[in-house]
Amino acid sequence: MKKATKFASVVLAAALTLSLAGCGSSDAGTNSTQSSGNTSGKTYTIGICQLVQHEALDAATQGFKDALTDKLGDNVKFDEQNAAGDASTCSTICTTFATNNYDLILGNATAALQAATAATDTIPVLGTSITDYATALDVSDWTGTTGKNISGTTDLAPLDQQAKCIAELFPDAKNVGILYCSSEPNSIYQSTTITKYLKDEGYTVKEYTFSDSNDVASVTQSACDNSDVIYIPTDNTAASCTEAINNVASPAKVPIFAGEEGIAKGCGVATLSISYYDLGYTTGEMAYDILVNGKDISTMEVQSAPKFTKEYIADRADALGITIPDGYEELKAD
Amino acid sequence: MFLINYFSSLNPLAFTNALPGNIAQGLIWGIMALGVYITFRLLDFADLTVDGSFATGGAVTVMMTVKGYNIWVALLCACIAGLLAGLCTGLLHTKLGIPPILAGILTQIALYSINLNIMDRHANQALSVDKYSLILSSRNLTSAIVIGLLFAAVLIIVLYWYFGTEQGSAIRATGCNPAMSRAQGINIDNMKLIGLSISNAIVALSGGLLAQYSGFADVNMGRGGIVIGLAAVIIGEVLGDAILGKRMDFKGRLIFVVIGGIIYYIVIGIVLWLKMPSDDLKLFTAIIVAIFLAVPYLKGKSKSSFAKAGKRAAAMLAGRSATAYGDVDAKNKEEK
Repeated sequence: MKKATKFASVVLAAALTLSLAGCGSSDAGTNSTQSSGNTSGKTYTIGICQLVQHEALDAATQGFKDALTDKLGDNVKFDEQNAAGDASTCSTICTTFATNNYDLILGNATAALQAATAATDTIPVLGTSITDYATALDVSDWTGTTGKNISGTTDLAPLDQQAKCIAELFPDAKNVGILYCSSEPNSIYQSTTITKYLKDEGYTVKEYTFSDSNDVASVTQSACDNSDVIYIPTDNTAASCTEAINNVASPAKVPIFAGEEGIAKGCGVATLSISYYDLGYTTGEMAYDILVNGKDISTMEVQSAPKFTKEYIADRADALGITIPDGYEELKAD
Repeated sequence: MFLINYFSSLNPLAFTNALPGNIAQGLIWGIMALGVYITFRLLDFADLTVDGSFATGGAVTVMMTVKGYNIWVALLCACIAGLLAGLCTGLLHTKLGIPPILAGILTQIALYSINLNIMDRHANQALSVDKYSLILSSRNLTSAIVIGLLFAAVLIIVLYWYFGTEQGSAIRATGCNPAMSRAQGINIDNMKLIGLSISNAIVALSGGLLAQYSGFADVNMGRGGIVIGLAAVIIGEVLGDAILGKRMDFKGRLIFVVIGGIIYYIVIGIVLWLKMPSDDLKLFTAIIVAIFLAVPYLKGKSKSSFAKAGKRAAAMLAGRSATAYGDVDAKNKEEK
């Protein structure tokens, strides 16, 4: 027992001395720059909370940082934290940002944005990679602005146009299966919305949901058995197991239309895609407007990605015998 | 040089600023750990239901509040839902003879679908403190800590009283020695059912509190919860034994379980503050828990008379002839 207490006291003592020593040096530095006040030389500290490590989210964070570094150079500091997929860690991270009184918080993905908005109602909070702000923030009468300290960018690709793409690529198909992960809030929203558009195009639509990466293969199999075309929305879990989906779908010769580029590269034939890097960059520009130009975040509209591109994967289209109409750019598969 | 740069890049103020948040969240998980303590220590039942029932608590609380019920009613219903989940695990185990770990896993898996259905098939439901009057929120950390403390204190008092009653003692006896308890006329199946129900009701309560604190419920919010709960229980025990020693009683244990939860989250805060790659957060967590699990065992091992006798024997063998064996045996007996 003695050893344990001794060990604990040594650790605590070390932590204390460290913190005291630190107080003398580094902290004084940051304080003075913060209190200097004049906007030209002011250093901004921005907390970034990202839900999980994932290609699209990483790209959005990178775009956000690049936008601000392009404009502010060394006058912006980032505290970048990743919750490693644990929604409850988002709270830990965001309350820390709030108690440290950062100048702005970026919530990358739904749970991160929610944790940030729960932690503060004064610090500006920007979201990115969020599909539907009304659902994420539980706003019933959505007008495009929140009226609060929250705004951001949405990764929602125009679902009506995606439905049109499907109609133009697969005119003879009858059944469309929508494949996504049931634990992702964004996917169910996209699925219900596009179902309506697809029905307008004359398709029969059925949803196939898996609960995690373990049952992806079997659910994909059942989707392939019952559909002529499969649609996958911007689903994080699907994006992380495209290989498993491809292994089932390509022998079954069922084409997949993907909601974003990453999934299309892994297992899709075509997509109408946004670039998450551009989306993050747009978010970074919004942050600049708030911090430097003094824009009021509560009146800033949620923005979408600056441009959409129709893309296709040549190898898979050839293998499935699909003729790609004009206006599609070729995308290299992984 | 690298180390100096690294340490000077850390802002100690940032760490102390983060403390209140860590404490509040640790308190909520500490309450959850009280539930884990009941099954894991008192009932000697490794119950994995908690990963599911924690999210159930959050889901029920959020959905009922959003539908317009009073938050206290919602929280009560969350407890009842958790209680039913625990009961389900108990029935799988006692009536259908499924081993404890499997029974827990089955309920936990089933709860994933049930939670999705509770949340209207939404994987994530927001609960904004601006729209509903919540009991606590990360918006106001001081009140969150005070309320967390109140909840923990009331629970500890109630549990302390309950496990002193005849039924509570019977539950503890069931965990200690099932065969002996049955011989004493205790219906051990019923005791397991009650213990599991109470435990999961507490876990669901804590899930409901965390959903309010973080402003949303998520189907994945309980994932890995059992690890945090066990970590809190064990950290609390090791620490309590170190501080109180032989004076560590049941009351002390309950209190230290909650403190264990707080310490766990402070450690998470330290890991984040040290700018360790958060990709490795789970690995650090596992290492911390493994250390706390191993310390009591290793200490017990080094203290045991057999180990000492072994060392002495080795020393004697090195110095003297084989006749020393008799001496060692005699000394061993003395020690006992």
